[in-house]
Amino acid sequence: MSERGVVHLVDDDASFRTAIRRMLTAAGFEVHAFASGAELLARASPDEHGCVLADLQLPELSGLELQQELGRAGVALPFVFLTGHGDVPSAVCAMRQGAVDFLDKCAPQDTLIAAIERALQREAAEREARARQERLARRFAVLTAREWEVLRHVVNGRMNKQISADLGIHERTVKLHRTAITTKLGVRSVAELTTLAREAGVLR
Amino acid sequence: MEAAAALTLGVSYALAWLPDRRNLPNLMFCLLAVAVAGVARAEVGMMHSATVAEYLDWIRWTHLSLFVALVAQLLFVHVYLGTGRVWLLSTIIAARVAVLVGNFQLHPSLTWQEISSLGHVSFLGEQISVVGEGVTRSWQWLPSVSRMLMVVFVADAVLQLWRTRRPEARRKALVVACGIGIPLLSAVVLGQIKVFEGAQVPPIQTPLFVATLLVMAFELSRGLSQSQYARRELEELRTEVARAGRVTALGQLASSLAHELSQPLGAILRNAEAAELHLAGPAPDLEELRAIVADIGRDDRRAGDVIDQMRALIKRRSVEMQPLPLDEVVHDVISMVHPDAVARHVALDCVMPPGLPPVNGDRVHLSQVLLNLIINGMDAIQASRTDIKRVVIEAQQQPHGQVEVAVTDSGPGAAPEIIGKVFDPFFTTKATGMGMGLPISRTIIEAHGGRLWVERGRGPGLTFRFTLQQAGGSAA
Repeated sequence: MSERGVVHLVDDDASFRTAIRRMLTAAGFEVHAFASGAELLARASPDEHGCVLADLQLPELSGLELQQELGRAGVALPFVFLTGHGDVPSAVCAMRQGAVDFLDKCAPQDTLIAAIERALQREAAEREARARQERLARRFAVLTAREWEVLRHVVNGRMNKQISADLGIHERTVKLHRTAITTKLGVRSVAELTTLAREAGVLR
Repeated sequence: MEAAAALTLGVSYALAWLPDRRNLPNLMFCLLAVAVAGVARAEVGMMHSATVAEYLDWIRWTHLSLFVALVAQLLFVHVYLGTGRVWLLSTIIAARVAVLVGNFQLHPSLTWQEISSLGHVSFLGEQISVVGEGVTRSWQWLPSVSRMLMVVFVADAVLQLWRTRRPEARRKALVVACGIGIPLLSAVVLGQIKVFEGAQVPPIQTPLFVATLLVMAFELSRGLSQSQYARRELEELRTEVARAGRVTALGQLASSLAHELSQPLGAILRNAEAAELHLAGPAPDLEELRAIVADIGRDDRRAGDVIDQMRALIKRRSVEMQPLPLDEVVHDVISMVHPDAVARHVALDCVMPPGLPPVNGDRVHLSQVLLNLIINGMDAIQASRTDIKRVVIEAQQQPHGQVEVAVTDSGPGAAPEIIGKVFDPFFTTKATGMGMGLPISRTIIEAHGGRLWVERGRGPGLTFRFTLQQAGGSAA
């Protein structure tokens, strides 16, 4: 159904909401329309896809506040803001909070669609990066506490002898732990192990 | 000659007083000037009297003028300085009334038991008549004592003002002390010499009064020119404020117009784009297209309405009374401030009972009043950062063909001393306020035959209420 992605539309003006939903649906997007930020907040979950297209000036919860609240709830959806008359301070604030774009309500169709596409691409890329990180983290999760300690020393470039002295264990035991780590993670070299650990973000 | 000069001064100050009736010092000055003219004429009459009877007649006329002159002086001191003891003032006036009545009731006069002959003395190279031989009455202390009390009253009033230590007040006190106090004291001294020493002193109160008149004339003309200058300055300031107000109001209108139009225009654009996309498809959905076209028409009318409303607001017109549906006016204003309310997160509630009768009024001016009260309410809320952000607009039918409208905000309210000043021109609690909104609103409502006032609301905020006349027969 959604060939081009999901757009969460928030606008309090019913007439404008209907019109933009019609256009985006006809252009191939899946549109979920909400009359207020609270409605979207109540429905959104952290594994939500797509982007948010919101009026900057909403009653109750403003567009900027909705962006903050969603972020606090762990819903990392990129925002495209629409406004009747753009004011610079709100635009700066919106961009600083990670909005993808800030458009006039009467912006040309291709500009609007391009902004939505960009937001969706960013969201997809971020989601992909998050998924990959989670997969990697899951691979590292099988290590024992001692293996974690050895791993930390290995990726810091320490020799087996130094590690055995630091941890107060036999050098042969260190070798056994290293073999266990490489086997469990399925890596062949220390270089590969280091790269993987960095990518998974498991070591600081 | 002195009489003519005093009369001229009196008439000129009467002309100055007429346009501004509340200016009591000017009125007192007029009375004094006219009375001094009377005293002068009567004293000249006394000087030129040939017989005792003629002399006594002039004494009575002197006392009549004297009464007015003294009372005018006292009241001038009282209203001009704003000090002086009222009980003392009343006592003196009562004594002077007694003197006046006594002079007309007793024969030959209150002071004299008997005047047997007139004497003649040389005064300024002229032979004039004075009392030659006469017996004073025991009542003669009354005029003297009342004159002394007057000196006490003036001295007390001057001292009270002197103690305030304000330079302007001290200057006024000094002028009154020199201009009124010293001549009064001199008159008392002269009177004592005349009566007790039996000296044949000519009646020369007029020069003393003329001295007082000149000092007062100088003082009042100074105040007059200052107040005219201040009035002209105020006039210029008002024009400036009106211009500045119009500029900011137009700026706000333009920005509000842009925002209000962006909704329907944006909707029209998106609907048209949606229609194009549908038409480009293999099998256009005719139902959907029909709905889109209908919405485009509706949004276009909405945009037109916005422009019409704004045009009506901007256009300068005189008051045009007509029967108005109040709920329509209120809703128009609410939709006009809606973007502002949304931006400030303020909810606008409107409570209109069904069957509310139309009111007599000018749509544009009434909208301005409502707009002003609602925006004031939102400002109060914004300044206070309260949790509840709400402005309620209520209308209610009242007896005697009146309709009452109330605008209540959920702001923090205000101290009584501030509430007492909100309708004063140029009074404002806002950093960028002009302090003209409420006075102008009140003027508009009063021009509609209604009242606009403020009271504490049921909650913490303020309620502004105004009344309007119901349109049609039952209106008073």
